[in-house]
Amino acid sequence: MSELLQYVVTGLTTGSAYALVGLGIALIAQVTGVINFAQGQFVMLAGLLFAVLEEHQVPTVLAALAALAVTVLVGLALERLVLPRQAAGRTDQAIMLTIGASIVIEGVAFVTIGTEPKFARPFTAGDALRFGGASMDRQYLWVIGIAALVMLAVWLVLTRTRTGWAMRATAMDPDAARLSGISPSRMSMLVFLAAAGLGAIGGIVLAPLQSPDASVGIGLGLKGFAAAVIGGLDRPAGAVAGGLAVGVVEALASGYLPSSQSGFADGIAYAVLLVALIARPTGLLRRVTGERV
Amino acid sequence: MAATDTAPAEAPTGLLARIDTHRRLRPLVRVALPAALLLVALLLIPFVFTRVAPYTMADGVQLVLLAVAALGLVPLTGYAGQVSLGQAAFYGTGAYATAILTVHYHLSPLLGILVGVVAAGLLAWLLGLALFRAAGHYLTLATIAVGLVLAVVVKQFDLTGGAEGISGLPALSLGGLQFSDDVSFFYLAAAVLVVASLVVQRVCRSQLGTTLLAISDSPIAAQSAGVDPAPQKRFAFVLAAVCSALGGTLYALWSSFVDVNTLDLNLSLQLLIIATVGGRRSVYGATVGAFVVVSLARFAKEWLPAVSSHAGGQVEIIAYGLALILVLRLLPRGIVGGAAAALKRLVR
Repeated sequence: MSELLQYVVTGLTTGSAYALVGLGIALIAQVTGVINFAQGQFVMLAGLLFAVLEEHQVPTVLAALAALAVTVLVGLALERLVLPRQAAGRTDQAIMLTIGASIVIEGVAFVTIGTEPKFARPFTAGDALRFGGASMDRQYLWVIGIAALVMLAVWLVLTRTRTGWAMRATAMDPDAARLSGISPSRMSMLVFLAAAGLGAIGGIVLAPLQSPDASVGIGLGLKGFAAAVIGGLDRPAGAVAGGLAVGVVEALASGYLPSSQSGFADGIAYAVLLVALIARPTGLLRRVTGERV
Repeated sequence: MAATDTAPAEAPTGLLARIDTHRRLRPLVRVALPAALLLVALLLIPFVFTRVAPYTMADGVQLVLLAVAALGLVPLTGYAGQVSLGQAAFYGTGAYATAILTVHYHLSPLLGILVGVVAAGLLAWLLGLALFRAAGHYLTLATIAVGLVLAVVVKQFDLTGGAEGISGLPALSLGGLQFSDDVSFFYLAAAVLVVASLVVQRVCRSQLGTTLLAISDSPIAAQSAGVDPAPQKRFAFVLAAVCSALGGTLYALWSSFVDVNTLDLNLSLQLLIIATVGGRRSVYGATVGAFVVVSLARFAKEWLPAVSSHAGGQVEIIAYGLALILVLRLLPRGIVGGAAAALKRLVR
């Protein structure tokens, strides 16, 4: 029983980071119609930069802020320099451009930082907390707490501010939004900034738990996709639920699979993504295809 | 594209007009000339690649096999606008099927090729049944996931040789001819490439090509004209899978070794880049794109360790990514598409 609780706690922790990644993917897909394959690289980039800066004795808060800032700038460059201005018409081209950007980011990280994983210290030192037979690293609390705060902030922005309303209006009906004076280009830029930020925060909080190297981006991105697809991409809340689900399933699989089969655990998140896509494809991008008329 | 063949609306002047007066020559110019150019280019490869410094004959074989594997992306990505990032799943399926049948069951390599291609086509058809039910870009995500799941699975089973893979595939022989060295295998693969190019081109110029273009340009207009996009896209997807599997089976027989790298995401990326950089709307784009990718890989291996001590081969993927971005932004129809447009302007 305590074993099960332990796996669930671990799963919810990594799941909250996946939820942040999935939330960014869902926001971009809703507002611009682009599936951003570089999202996982935002996570990798921020986590890796954070860990490298920490290795060079930069204070934790400063390292986190610097990693966040660089990642958001990369997101801005992707949206402004790489993607075409009228992304909505040629989604297949935009998808391929994000794929290109993704491998460029990964390659640059490999060349400048190297292939070895980097280690980040937990945000606060101290023994693991124990409850009900499960032990909980202090970092778990940081991950879950920060993820919850960030998601609350996203929800408040989307529902309580004019910018958030404009974003949701663009997602619902871009033509009507444009007619009422909302700039789709500005919305696209804002949503890419937000998504890069969300990915970066996910990468930073996860860094002390899963030592990042330059190759982790694609895997983390796919876990974010799994999160967003399970949630249906319709509601941001769906991506959050999907992220937690992917995290828990992954933790349970790697916990309960016999050691001879443990290799399968690597593929669990991808299998979940595949099953979600096959079983429930209407969830993904339903709204966007309707808007292309 | 196909429409201009039958109904020349514009009246060209100059050289093209002179060709135009011989209306019967037009199909010859449009179909036979590029095919002849491809043939000449392919026949030049053994001479160039054995003499010009960084290239080897193995690069030549790889070029042709990659081009075969990428061919099917022309109708799928170029015409139907569906981005597949999991062609390695089919390449690997073909390669593993051939390896298992020839090594474990001692069947003939030809049967291995046949079964590998059919298995990959069947896998694509089943996936397509589920994935094309609704519009949208699931295909990219689903194809990546299939490749990664397969890569995990083949590492777990004895039948697929686990992490070590399967080695000792027999050499391919046809009617007493052995294709065991690079040069003879190259000629065989080049023949396969020419035939496959013509077949895929035939498909693109048929009604199906026009329908796929219509589906990608305006799905709703196509549907209101009575076209159900799902079966059309599925056919293009199966064709793409068959081409990739054909490349994979031939690769397995050539290298006589198969491991999990044949399912790698990097290979899928290479195939997508080959189709895009060469020209998504032309079957000859695949060969040109394969030349670019093989050259990038070769030069990265030769020169980069001297430039950067860090992460030698990794600069290669930066070059791939930059090539993809630059071509898509500056030359959206790829090298062949851009060259064809430039030639047309020059001739007029």
